[in-house]
Amino acid sequence: MAKAPARWDLEVDWISIGSGLGGVCSAIAAHDAGGEAVILEKASKLGGLSGYGAGEVFVPNNRWMRDLGIEDSDADGRAYLGFVAGGFNRPEHFEKMYTTAKEAVEYFGREAGVQWLAVEGLPDYYYPKVVGSHAGGRYLSVELFDAKQLGEWQSKTYTMSPHIPPAALHREMYAWGGLSSITQWDYELIGKRIEEDQRSMGTGMMGWLVKAAVVDRGIPAHVDTPVRELVTDASGTVIGVRAEKGGCDFFVKAARGVVIAAGGYDHNKQMACAYESMPDWNTSVPPGIEGDNIVMGTEVGASITAVPAYNLAMFYGYHIPGEEAEGAPVFRSGWECGVPHAIWVNKKGERFCDESTYKDYQPRLRHWDGNTQTMPNIPPALVFDQNYRDRYPVGSYTPGQALPEGLAHTADTPRALGEKLGVDPEGLERTIARYNEHARNGEDPDFHRGSYPWANRMVGDFDYPNPNVAPLDKPPYYGINLVPVSVGVNSHGLETDTNAQVVHVRGHSIPGLYAVGNSAALLDLGAGYQSGCSNMRAITWGYIAGRHALGKG
Amino acid sequence: MKKIDNWAPLVTGYRAHEQQSETDSLWTLKGDIGALARVIQFQVHITEWNGPSRVAFDLKGLNEPLAGGGSFEMRACGSGEAATGPAASRSNPVSRFFEAIARSLLRLFGGGAPRRAAADDAGPGESTAELRFRLEVNPGGPMAPMLNALMKPVMLPAAEQLADGIVAKLEEIHGTKA
Repeated sequence: MAKAPARWDLEVDWISIGSGLGGVCSAIAAHDAGGEAVILEKASKLGGLSGYGAGEVFVPNNRWMRDLGIEDSDADGRAYLGFVAGGFNRPEHFEKMYTTAKEAVEYFGREAGVQWLAVEGLPDYYYPKVVGSHAGGRYLSVELFDAKQLGEWQSKTYTMSPHIPPAALHREMYAWGGLSSITQWDYELIGKRIEEDQRSMGTGMMGWLVKAAVVDRGIPAHVDTPVRELVTDASGTVIGVRAEKGGCDFFVKAARGVVIAAGGYDHNKQMACAYESMPDWNTSVPPGIEGDNIVMGTEVGASITAVPAYNLAMFYGYHIPGEEAEGAPVFRSGWECGVPHAIWVNKKGERFCDESTYKDYQPRLRHWDGNTQTMPNIPPALVFDQNYRDRYPVGSYTPGQALPEGLAHTADTPRALGEKLGVDPEGLERTIARYNEHARNGEDPDFHRGSYPWANRMVGDFDYPNPNVAPLDKPPYYGINLVPVSVGVNSHGLETDTNAQVVHVRGHSIPGLYAVGNSAALLDLGAGYQSGCSNMRAITWGYIAGRHALGKG
Repeated sequence: MKKIDNWAPLVTGYRAHEQQSETDSLWTLKGDIGALARVIQFQVHITEWNGPSRVAFDLKGLNEPLAGGGSFEMRACGSGEAATGPAASRSNPVSRFFEAIARSLLRLFGGGAPRRAAADDAGPGESTAELRFRLEVNPGGPMAPMLNALMKPVMLPAAEQLADGIVAKLEEIHGTKA
């Protein structure tokens, strides 16, 4: 941590380190509570990981679903998220999150002009098999955002994400057939919206919020301004930060609070492998998310805590040679595994999971076999056939378009493909034969693939009786050796109290210091994951933190 | 202009090229398409060589669904001749047509040290030469309208950069550097 300078370059009430949902929402909350806020962003654009994602915000029993006539209840919402937590959340954190989430999204809808809408027809992950789960409406998304409203910030915010189709709303995406039908979407409409810079999903959500913060409220935002250290006084209270601007120190004083909303440690490979117990690591998050939360927090004595990493958002995907975003290689999350005519296999050439649902394959990827002292299911290989290639894209490579050199192996038989992939060729041959035997009837007796409506909707093809299952029986066969790809949800983070204040290793809250979003440990959500919960947490705890610092919470 | 090696590296995103014959070459560029930077390979075939005044070519993407073509045209402008107006950028739903014009003031008569300047600045006895670069790119495939929209912000600056770069190179070669 840095010492207080003789002279501060800027003095405010509230500093948001990071400009994703947590940073921007807490700045708005602090401003509206009467404080002077500032946003400091390491990257060249505002938006953070929130600007890279699908922009879903999971809020059970929300107002917008009720407006659509979709029934829900807080009893069901609590039961469902309680199940997802797997017993690894702290009840007081869970309850604070649950009860405040609706208040927070309604606040930003009402006071910040965010045009929320409920996504119909996208079920909860575990629907219908878990008590309290629902068939749709709990995910909030946003209406299209006209980015011209951002003025000079139009070019300093994310126009689109490398991972999410641009300029399409969720309801349109599903009406057009979902991800498996991505080549059949309305690209005339999408192209028109791109030319007009109409943004959707994560970029749209951040557009609404950046407008509210920076344009409407005049909250200053500094890009290319990485915060390097927290500044404390003799009592250990965090009183400001040392950032860098234009290559020089930039000291900013915070009279009421500093929030670390800088994401986790995805781009810090050493930290990630250690904390996540993984032998390898890659990420899809924007560059700059490098564990600043851990470094800066521990320098002032913060407690780091964790939840089990069994069901967090770890994918296995691939890198298309030469593909980059913001100067860094792009790792795609590999959703193809849940599409018909595709499977995953481990080194034995065997399937090990229901490839269509995260909640099934994520824990199984991390399986440790004590007999062999190995993680036998990683890295998996994605295997698909010409049926797949005829119908669905691989990344952004459409049917009929040759795959780039170096991405996939091809062979005329499963056995020959196994040789090329480095998996047991006989195992692969047996696996595909067994899979096909049942897949022709739309069944998967081994892992019950396709039994969750969420998977059907997200990556299924409704031309098939089982939208996620079809045989691999048309050569040539293709295979991609996959690599781990994280999406920003970490098992370790800063311990916080129910006001989002960071907790010291000795148990007391550190005055003046807050942490929200992926910088804060998942004490509210526990060991599980449900799409939209990361955004919900960031908005909710950002709202709580900004208000608490200014005496409103 | 005939020797691609002379000006290939001036192309925005240039990574490599391979001259396969007098008329055919293989190009590797790295280009921005929306939020992504991708390596793009395409085949170029010279369809018309009337150098130095005009070169025309077709291009075809090898790893991306792109097709199109373009031309370089060089003409000398007589003294006092009005400079050509700015190129109009024409757009239609499935193609992008860009035209970039770079002008160089060359003393074509009487020697002396030429200088780069606006064509309007030509004084008595001075002439200008004008390089016009046209490029048409048609994305194919089901996502063509989206690719079209994504290409628009990058294509015209790239075309202008190439035209300006070639003019600067010509000046350097002919000892006419400003």
